Amino acid sequence: MAYDYHRSGSLAEAFALAARDDSALIAGGTDLLVALRKKKRAAPARLVSIRSLPELTAIEAGPGLLRIGACAPLTEILAQPVVRERLPALAQALAVIGSRQIRNVATLGGNLCNASPGADSAPPLLVYDATVELAGTGGRRELPLSEFFLGPGRTALRPGEIMTAVCVPLPVPSAQSVFQRRSRVAMDLATASLAVNYELQGGVLKSVRLAAGAVAPTPLRLRAAESWLEGRAVNEETLAKAVELARGEIKPIDDLRGSAWYRSELIGVFLSRAFRNRKEGDA
Amino acid sequence: MKVPLRFLLNGREVALEVQPHARLLDALRDYAGLTGTKEGCGEGECGACTVLVDGRAVNSCLYPALEAEGCAVLTVEGLVSAQGGLSELQQAFVEEGGAQCGFCTPGMVMSAAALLSENAAPSDDEIREALVGNLCRCTGYTQIVASIRAAAQKAGKAQS
Ligand SMILES: Cc1cc2nc3c(=O)[nH]c(=O)nc-3n(C[C@H](O)[C@H](O)[C@H](O)COP(=O)(O)OP(=O)(O)OC[C@H]3O[C@@H](n4cnc5c(N)ncnc54)[C@H](O)[C@@H]3O)c2cc1C
Ligand code: FES
Ligand code: FES
Repeated sequence: MAYDYHRSGSLAEAFALAARDDSALIAGGTDLLVALRKKKRAAPARLVSIRSLPELTAIEAGPGLLRIGACAPLTEILAQPVVRERLPALAQALAVIGSRQIRNVATLGGNLCNASPGADSAPPLLVYDATVELAGTGGRRELPLSEFFLGPGRTALRPGEIMTAVCVPLPVPSAQSVFQRRSRVAMDLATASLAVNYELQGGVLKSVRLAAGAVAPTPLRLRAAESWLEGRAVNEETLAKAVELARGEIKPIDDLRGSAWYRSELIGVFLSRAFRNRKEGDA
Repeated sequence: MKVPLRFLLNGREVALEVQPHARLLDALRDYAGLTGTKEGCGEGECGACTVLVDGRAVNSCLYPALEAEGCAVLTVEGLVSAQGGLSELQQAFVEEGGAQCGFCTPGMVMSAAALLSENAAPSDDEIREALVGNLCRCTGYTQIVASIRAAAQKAGKAQS
């Protein structure tokens, strides 16, 4: 596992090095270094570190939008009042990733680019309609996060491209959102997770977003259940049908963290709870 | 080929030559000769390797040594006073039975030091939350939580 280690001095330099096929990007390293050690990944000749580039670590709150640098450590993101106040599902998800030691170095971009089906930041970012900024020597582009994940460990990143930021539109103050997750013990990856974001207007649901983790090859939006709930009042029949649709959209597997059946049950329970426990009043 | 690495180790400037792929854990134990920091799993799970980098607890087994360039690194050796006496926090582990075999202890103490520097009077839940990334095979955790609670209370009394 003897590789060279290069700390990029500028984004331009990182782009140039990332484009070489003997190099791999490293941010916090909490996924990559474990994968190298377990020999799940072959060691490249060079690791290109991007964690200290100020362009990639800044967190900027603009009107109606939070732009989170891809290399911002989770602890820094959690420390933002706007995240706790306006993006509660994201705060709930980041707070349970690993341990303090992990969150102090793990980055948001690393969590997404590693593309684990159970990446905990993904479901909340999906329900907030986040987009990701990708850039390389070939230029810059922006993609909805829902189009970023292609499969376990596979993303829309082109060779040499770096994720530079995650942009999260701030929900209207009347929106309600929550992240629920089940794992076997603390510090374990999720067995299943669900993020929900919606508004209640005049007793009916509006702008419903549902996204699940660890129940399919990628984190995914549950669009059939979303459109069923849109415009309907919350009652037991509505929820039962939504749970049925959601279960039809996921593709859970059996593994050491739980069976496909259990994962499907969890998604149903999370979904029902998210709407039953809604705050009263529909301002 | 080795590369130079300079950082502040327990308040003292050190200049080392390390392999580019060395972990901070290796730099501390093998190059700087400070073996208080332990390696358990080497994969971020057990916390035996916990040290503070610029005040933040990190797993030194997952921390590339070269990322410590110019940083302030604090290890368990850095907690003792200039005269070599244990810190209040370490003393509390001794008094409350917070260590048995002692292998997890340096990591536990460093996680606790990071917690107490941010939160001088943590609740038991806050103590447990701060220790999620530190495993102990001996004590059952109760005495570890008690040690940290006792250290915080003693420091609180000294303040008032
Ligand atoms: C003990 C432990 C517990 C964990 N618990 C959880 C958990 O509960 N939930 C969870 O979701 N994850 C968990 N993880 C996984 C991991 O900590 C997170 O996924 C973390 O956010 C990864 O970020 P990183 O910066 O460390 O990524 P790195 O390891 O640096 O990178 C991961 C991958 O993404 C690529 N990459 C990183 N940044 C970029 C970028 N900006 N552009 C392009 N490619 C990039 C790298 O090349 C690499 O392939 C855990 C890990 C450990 C070791
Ligand atoms: S040795 Fe680093 S966490 Fe176990
Ligand atoms: S005292 Fe033995 S592992 Fe904790």
